[in-house]
Amino acid sequence: MAISLKESIIVGLSDFWSRKIRSLVTIVGIVLGTMSIIVVLSLVKGINKKTLEWMMERGGLSKISVYRNWNYEKQADVKNYFTLKEINLIRSLVPEAKYFNPQIREWVNYSYGENTSRGSIYGVIPDFKKIEEWDVEAGRFISGFDIKQNSDVIAIGTKVKEELFGNKKAVGQFITAGKRRVQIIGVMQHRFMDNSGNIGNDNALAYLNRRTFVPLSTMIHKGTGEDRISSFTVKAKDAESAPELRQKLEAIILNLRFGEPVFTIESAQEEAEKMAENAKKFRIIFFLISAISLLVGGIVIMNIMLASIQERTREIGIRLTVGARRIDIFVQFLVQTILVTTIGGILGIVSGLSILDIVSKYLNIKLIAGFSMMIIAITVSAGIGFIFGISPAIKASKLDPVVALRHE
Amino acid sequence: MDRIIEIKNLKKEYKMGKVTVPALNGVDIEIYEGEFLAIMGPSGSGKSTLMHIIGCLDTASSGIYFFNNEEVSKIKKRKLAVIRNEQVGFVFQTFNLLPHLNIQKNVELPLTYAGYSKKKRVALARKVLAEVGLSDRLKHKPSELSGGQRQRVAIARALVNSPSVILADEPTGNLDTASGSDILTIFSDLNYKGNTIIIVTHDPAVAKRANRVINIVDGLIQNGDIS
Repeated sequence: MAISLKESIIVGLSDFWSRKIRSLVTIVGIVLGTMSIIVVLSLVKGINKKTLEWMMERGGLSKISVYRNWNYEKQADVKNYFTLKEINLIRSLVPEAKYFNPQIREWVNYSYGENTSRGSIYGVIPDFKKIEEWDVEAGRFISGFDIKQNSDVIAIGTKVKEELFGNKKAVGQFITAGKRRVQIIGVMQHRFMDNSGNIGNDNALAYLNRRTFVPLSTMIHKGTGEDRISSFTVKAKDAESAPELRQKLEAIILNLRFGEPVFTIESAQEEAEKMAENAKKFRIIFFLISAISLLVGGIVIMNIMLASIQERTREIGIRLTVGARRIDIFVQFLVQTILVTTIGGILGIVSGLSILDIVSKYLNIKLIAGFSMMIIAITVSAGIGFIFGISPAIKASKLDPVVALRHE
Repeated sequence: MDRIIEIKNLKKEYKMGKVTVPALNGVDIEIYEGEFLAIMGPSGSGKSTLMHIIGCLDTASSGIYFFNNEEVSKIKKRKLAVIRNEQVGFVFQTFNLLPHLNIQKNVELPLTYAGYSKKKRVALARKVLAEVGLSDRLKHKPSELSGGQRQRVAIARALVNSPSVILADEPTGNLDTASGSDILTIFSDLNYKGNTIIIVTHDPAVAKRANRVINIVDGLIQNGDIS
């Protein structure tokens, strides 16, 4: 003889329904708690996805960047750049690297007739477009031949092209870059990434469209005139082998610089891993904050359930009289509390999902909801019901039937 | 006739702080199947306490109580719930219906705890509600019924699991004379059909309907004549 779980749920639901206002007031805390879980987890997920997209746009997870460590205070006898000879040495020491691009950057003004523009000019080699996964949309990119010949050629970003030529064809034209006359051989593909989450430009990659590229050899021999390579990028065979390659490069470079950390060697894969690690911490912290409101909600529910048992003492007496066992009463009240918090959890998820767009607009970050976070929210709210339902359920099940029946 | 209830030297005391208040001072009764018994006494005489013990809602402090040849004092509390569910039907002065359930659901309640399927519960509840003349009120809430109708719902609930005995505690106490008379007629009919009925009352007019009247005063039986 027993009241089944299904019966308990039906009794609990009809009870919830017959005391609608109270039930709704009871679950406000839980609704808000689960709502914040959903919003916060979606926010973290959204930020993560955005950052990963950013990394993919910037050459993927197998990319390794070596550039000057700006936190390092320069010692007089340590060079904060690489010579071509050093670059060739490093390249020969990492044959497993798929692509390798040393580069020099300058800040120049461009002019074409009356029109002017300005931006960063990079001396690069053909590997650049492979590493950055960035090709031309018209003409061609720097070739090996250009490097050998120290050709006066340039590939320009779309913004520079627009400022100098407007809608007119640019490839084949000559412009002045700094003090040199160079021929345009290509226009780079336009780069765009939705900039939600950041202030300013709509395009998070707008700065790339301002860049221009010339052969590294031309830059050294005809431009700066100095054998100073400020940075280089490397592409590992795949993302998995990138951290190992990064470590190897770090060892080589430290060796070249007598152990001084003159350069920063950064692997996108490791950055992504770090980011994932941080995101995990964030999630836990935010989750705990949400959990506090759920905890408060749980305490409120426990109090209301205790008061409700006081009010329903006679009902419990009647149920005991017609044959309910103590375990039936216990299960009934526990299930009811779990039901109330679970309903609260569902409402919280629904309201959380419905405000995602608003929060998204307000914070200017795309929030991404996931199925797993809904499962988490439901489980947590049901768990709260279980924990805070036990004490009222025990109290209800211990009532003396005769005393309970006399209760007014 | 088979003996359903046998009580010997039954005592019940209540502890109120340091004071022990005796409610029953050694009661002896035998009740047989098919009887219509009235337990009479003034308020505070212990008649309700006796009814609670007979109905396994409460336990005695000492003495012997056999219900259907089982010694109740030796039964575990869990089993007492089974006896209440299967062997006893209660009818109270204040009806004791669940206000938020309709009357059909109220009548189904004992069957729910007995583990009956929904289909069987509905069928049985409708059958007994028809017997007490409430077929047309199945979906009504108790608050939508008159006192007499509510008491009929309570009787239907007491009957629904075919108990060995129906215990009624002042069943007409909250009813007007006409409704009270109707309810007593229902009890008479049920008894005629073979149900064992025990009514606790202080009203001699109610007791008159019974086959046998026991008077209880200060926790003791005064007489036990079969009328």
